[in-house]
Amino acid sequence: MECFSLLRSDVPALIDHLGDFGEVIAPHGKGDVSYSFEAVQDSCDVVLDYNRTLLPLKKMFLPPVEKLMGFSLKNESYEQVDVAITSRVFFGVHSYEMQSILRLDHSMLTGSAESNYFKRRQSSRFVGISFEPDEFHFSESVGIVIEEMEGFDLFLNEVDGDFQLYVLTENGQEMLNGFDKINITEPEIVEGRHFKKKIRYHYNRLPRVFQYAYHSEVWADVASRCVGCGACTLTCPTCFCFDVQDEVEVTAEDGIRQRSWDSCMLSTFAEVAGGENFREKTINRTRHRLYRKFKYITDEEGLPWCVGCGRCTAFCPAGISMPDIVNELIQEDEKAQYHRTVRV
Amino acid sequence: MKRLQDVEHHETEDLYYPTMCKVIGAKQITEMEKWYELEMPEGQSLGHGPGQFVEVSAFGIGEAPISISSSPSKNGKFELCIRQVGTLTNVLKNYETGDSMGIRGPFGKGFPMEKLFGKDILVVAGGIGLVPLRSLINYVLDNRKDFGRLIILYGAKTPSELLFTDELKMWKDRDDVELHVTVDQPDETWKGNTGVITTLIPSLDLKLNTTIAAITGPPVMYKFVVMSLKSKQLPDDQIYLSLERRMKCGVGKCGHCQINGVYCCQDGPVFNYVDIKPLEEAL
Ligand SMILES: Cc1cc2nc3c(=O)[nH]c(=O)nc-3n(C[C@H](O)[C@H](O)[C@H](O)COP(=O)(O)OP(=O)(O)OC[C@H]3O[C@@H](n4cnc5c(N)ncnc54)[C@H](O)[C@@H]3O)c2cc1C
Ligand code: SF4
Ligand code: SF4
Ligand code: FES
Repeated sequence: MECFSLLRSDVPALIDHLGDFGEVIAPHGKGDVSYSFEAVQDSCDVVLDYNRTLLPLKKMFLPPVEKLMGFSLKNESYEQVDVAITSRVFFGVHSYEMQSILRLDHSMLTGSAESNYFKRRQSSRFVGISFEPDEFHFSESVGIVIEEMEGFDLFLNEVDGDFQLYVLTENGQEMLNGFDKINITEPEIVEGRHFKKKIRYHYNRLPRVFQYAYHSEVWADVASRCVGCGACTLTCPTCFCFDVQDEVEVTAEDGIRQRSWDSCMLSTFAEVAGGENFREKTINRTRHRLYRKFKYITDEEGLPWCVGCGRCTAFCPAGISMPDIVNELIQEDEKAQYHRTVRV
Repeated sequence: MKRLQDVEHHETEDLYYPTMCKVIGAKQITEMEKWYELEMPEGQSLGHGPGQFVEVSAFGIGEAPISISSSPSKNGKFELCIRQVGTLTNVLKNYETGDSMGIRGPFGKGFPMEKLFGKDILVVAGGIGLVPLRSLINYVLDNRKDFGRLIILYGAKTPSELLFTDELKMWKDRDDVELHVTVDQPDETWKGNTGVITTLIPSLDLKLNTTIAAITGPPVMYKFVVMSLKSKQLPDDQIYLSLERRMKCGVGKCGHCQINGVYCCQDGPVFNYVDIKPLEEAL
């Protein structure tokens, strides 16, 4: 693994250079508080220090709204949608975000492998960047350190204001061909970046906690504060549920079928005709959301499906915190164990 | 974990495009239900197994999961029966012979026929639950010598809601079918059983080691039928249930059909009772 030094002031030049390998998509500031992954127009606009984007990078592979087909009502026929395969370079991606894309790959490609997703996901290259954890990040607790480089072609690790650039793949090597503002250097270990938020157990102990947490009192407490807005799932980088709707033009002759992100936190998500609702209460839905992150898929794949980005917590209008819920479940589990031992 | 590198382009699928099928027969069979016969283009066969479903499309409205009601032994053509309960199903009511219907599928796991061969089959159908079970019943009848007894319990709210009445008569007349029908609310003409479907179970004489039960009905029905069968000592692993959930994609992606960690559209809709017993959200 090669490592180069790169001055902060030369990063825009690197971004321009990467433009040879496809459209460059990178974080941009939207006001002071909100960030967003957008196509780069001017490399100087790219933000290198950001906590998290509002919408996850997922939106580039599984768009919030996506046309599935066009149809004609008159002819009872439809037209296919051609999903273009375009080369794209995703620049300035945090490690947890990259890990979320790897999880999304699994979700969309396992079982029936979806062609729409596959086409968008193909021909993408990733340049990672380190970050300073804020009060919401807890990715280390789910096994993802700041410098986790899996999935990246290149990775920028900030050292004293400038960067160390790691070359991780052949693609990464190719992307640096002809770029001369870098010098070979020895990799350094950066100290002093700490996660402020933590889950108290190693993540491999969580499935066991969840095994006994189904009837926990914690759910009712969380549910009593939740307003059911769905922001937690709509900003989550590993959520992938969707709804499908038909939209008809005013002429009533043509229309499109589209899908859009959906949320298991919305009350009608599991409702069927006739009014039966299989997760009728908020408590059922809150629990389902967390079990999807820490138990159901985790049992099969051995990894938490939460990457600790902190979005669901940062953007929850009710201040409901993912790591706090998990810590409360842990605490309750410890108490239950204590009582179990005492009784024996 | 499945990785992008593990997937070749040719292994990916266009999951959401329907196949346009011709309606070759259509008939409103009760006040609420319409029966359809469909034909795939170019003489293809649907290739389904009993208990599987399709996604039916009406452009401009959407899609709904609908069970395939005919036996796979009926080549080339297949049948659906749709209850008019909402937006889409009421639009489908207007579909007549000659119209095209968009079909995706067949989807899901149906009845594991390899485990049913040679066994006594006990069908328990509540209301519209007869629709998916009819594919099983007709499959058994088409291959009659491969199975033991065929016992059919069928319950409807009222006599006028009974589906497939011609076939019910045929089944009644065969001496290799044991049919028991009940209605919750009889009318003046009704001479048969009255009461909920579970009232038909206690008097059944079942051979416990060779009987397989197949249950479909409204959500409230399952618990009670399973309880009655268990009190007859029928082992759990000889009970199959077909469950209904909200479904959007039918292919394990949209998330709507989850029952705890299980996808009803992929792992079901037909489940062995042993597999769903531990799932709190199942019954
Ligand atoms: C595996 C399976 C097999 C089925 N087989 C049959 C059958 O053979 N015959 C039959 O009449 N009905 C069957 N149903 C039920 C049928 O799918 C619903 O009645 C139908 O979707 C209602 O749609 P609607 O638009 O008319 O109702 P509305 O209440 O207007 O539906 C509103 C929305 O809810 C969704 N929705 C409502 N109920 C369901 C549901 N149960 N599943 C999925 N989405 C739903 C619809 O997609 C729609 O977007 C089956 C359901 C499942 C899951
Ligand atoms: S963002 Fe908060 S309030 Fe909204 S659904 Fe999620 S947990 Fe509930
Ligand atoms: S559950 Fe919350 S913290 Fe975990 S990945 Fe999703 S949004 Fe991020
Ligand atoms: S119906 Fe979409 S996941 Fe099962």
